[in-house]
Amino acid sequence: MLQINKIISFRLYILLTLSVSLQVIPALAYDDKSDLSREYQIKAAFLYNFMQFVDWPEEKVSDKNAPVILGIIGEDPFGDAFKPIKSKQIKGKKSLIKRFEGIEKLKESDDKGQSKIEFIRQCHLLFICSSEKENLEDIINLVSGYDVLTVGETSNMLESGGIVNFLVDENKVRFEINLTAARRENIKIRSQLLRLAKKVIDNNNLAKK
Amino acid sequence: MILMRHLTIKYKLIAITMLTCFAALFLAGSGYVLWEWTNLRRIMARNLQTQAELIAENCKAALAFNDAQDSLEILQALQVEPSIVLGCLYNRNNEVFVSYYNQQAGCDIQPPDFKIDGYEFDDGYLTVFKSIVLEDEIIGAVCLRSNLQPMHAMLGRGVYIIVCVMLLAFFTAYLVSSRLQRIISRPILDLADIAKDVSEKKDFSTRAASRTNDEVGLLINTFNEMLEQIQQRDSALVKARDDLEERVNLRTADLTAANEHLTREVAEREKSEARQAELLNTIAKTNEELKDFAYIVSHDLKAPLRGISTLTEWIISDYGDKLDDDGKEQMKLLSSRVGRMHNLIEGVLQYSRVGRVSEERVQINLNELIPEVIDMVSPPENIAVTIENELPVIAGEPTRIMQVFQNLISNAIKYMDKPDGWVKISCADEDNLWVFSVADNGPGIEEKYFEKIFQIFQTLISRDEFESTGVGLTVTKKIVELYGGRIWVESKVGQGSTFFFSFQKQESEVYNAKYETNHVS
Repeated sequence: MLQINKIISFRLYILLTLSVSLQVIPALAYDDKSDLSREYQIKAAFLYNFMQFVDWPEEKVSDKNAPVILGIIGEDPFGDAFKPIKSKQIKGKKSLIKRFEGIEKLKESDDKGQSKIEFIRQCHLLFICSSEKENLEDIINLVSGYDVLTVGETSNMLESGGIVNFLVDENKVRFEINLTAARRENIKIRSQLLRLAKKVIDNNNLAKK
Repeated sequence: MILMRHLTIKYKLIAITMLTCFAALFLAGSGYVLWEWTNLRRIMARNLQTQAELIAENCKAALAFNDAQDSLEILQALQVEPSIVLGCLYNRNNEVFVSYYNQQAGCDIQPPDFKIDGYEFDDGYLTVFKSIVLEDEIIGAVCLRSNLQPMHAMLGRGVYIIVCVMLLAFFTAYLVSSRLQRIISRPILDLADIAKDVSEKKDFSTRAASRTNDEVGLLINTFNEMLEQIQQRDSALVKARDDLEERVNLRTADLTAANEHLTREVAEREKSEARQAELLNTIAKTNEELKDFAYIVSHDLKAPLRGISTLTEWIISDYGDKLDDDGKEQMKLLSSRVGRMHNLIEGVLQYSRVGRVSEERVQINLNELIPEVIDMVSPPENIAVTIENELPVIAGEPTRIMQVFQNLISNAIKYMDKPDGWVKISCADEDNLWVFSVADNGPGIEEKYFEKIFQIFQTLISRDEFESTGVGLTVTKKIVELYGGRIWVESKVGQGSTFFFSFQKQESEVYNAKYETNHVS
């Protein structure tokens, strides 16, 4: 009886803990801000975390003094969500956030003899906003071969050849990973990150989760 | 230690070895357990820390992405380690993020408050904290709590092994020591046996065999030397005793021999004494018989001699005129010969009377006695008899003393050949002797006759010339000798002779004393 009681209470405790943790995380910066801004605050933190658990090929990060560049292409939904975290270092380097207009505009602003496409190719992580949903494949093709971790928040992101895609599941920000795409870009994603992914697409193996 | 007093040396040695072994093993075992305990704690802490680090590393992403489900899954991997009763994660605000409880251990353990990195042993548990660091930023912490079951189990196993080893070592020590103790105990026990043997049998020729060069060997050698000395002393003693015995025997034999000799001698002496006594007896008897004989003969001879004398007188008076001159002469001769015979017999009687008859001894003043004697002798006109000096008073029989002087004086007068003769009587005091002398200026005596004159019936001049019995000097000598004195003569032929005789003063005094005591009694 005692044993059973213990087990029951243990389970209760787990449930309690889970519910608490689920409530605590959304409550991080809720109060006076909208659900949306809270979502993007989480996503901003996630982006920084992605960069911690991802390894770029050596040539991409050979310059130690060069910052890790986080590019945002399209209509920026983050607002000031990066404020508390942009001073964070990533792999011993400073982080730099660069915002780009839509791909169409980028292609046009090819005036000064140097295409702005080059800039997005220099990014380590490129967040493709939902506003660029139509140009996903285009953008991904543009940066393909430049070892850029592409992150999106649209349902066709992974099909389009993107590596990571955000999704909201049960009021919780989750993500899925296209491991094949990551391999194509020579980006290694740590298993710890893979564990946390809601879905991992791997052409070599069957999709997990 | 008191208990050990009653043990034999064998068991003492074994006990010492065992105790030493036990002490050493106990110390070593205790040391090992202590060391193992601290070591195990350290190892356990390190292991748990490693595990915490692993958890921290694994939970890094989950914590970063706030994934409680995944964190819990990771923590649940701790199930493989049943000793870990609690694992929990803290978020960056040091609040409990997720926690895992070992189902076997129960859930009565509350997650501890957040602490900095490190470990602590507390209340039977080991608790480890480890921060979770992502890019220099602490994003949370992991806490693992383990009970000390594995450590205690290992420690228990260690103790168990040590106890086993100790028992085995103890057993081995017993076996080895009970074998090896003989190295020490055997010589000592042998020595003890031999000592006991020696003391019981008193056989000092026994020797202990020395097999070792250590102190026991030395002891055995010393013991042997001691035995040797005792043996020597013993044999010397035995020898001395034997010698003594022999000497005693020898001495005893000597003594026995001497004793026998003495006994024999005593016996011989006794025998000789007896013989002597017998002889003396015989002599005395013979002497007595002789005296009696002399007396009887003289006495008996006198009667017929008187008869012959009377008859001769009668013949002369009756038949004198009928005889011629020749006959008358022969008758006269016969008468004189009878007279001589009478004198001889009288002399013999006199002589024999000296030893036989004794009269009372009295104090005699010679100054009074001698003139009496001279008077009795009545010397002729031509011979002067004088007393030269003061004479002493002596103790004796007056008749005999008188006889001595009378004989000597009358002899001097009788043989005087000078017209003016003199006889001098004197006395000399010589120590304990009175020496009297009667000197004359008569014919003297040749030296060769000095002894002969004192023999009985000896006369120097024929009896026809001088009528003499030849008894006088013999009687004198006998009397003098009776009083313990001596008589001798000095003379020169033609000039005269001097007769000396000694008279013991002491004799008289002693005699007096004896006499007086006799009187008193």
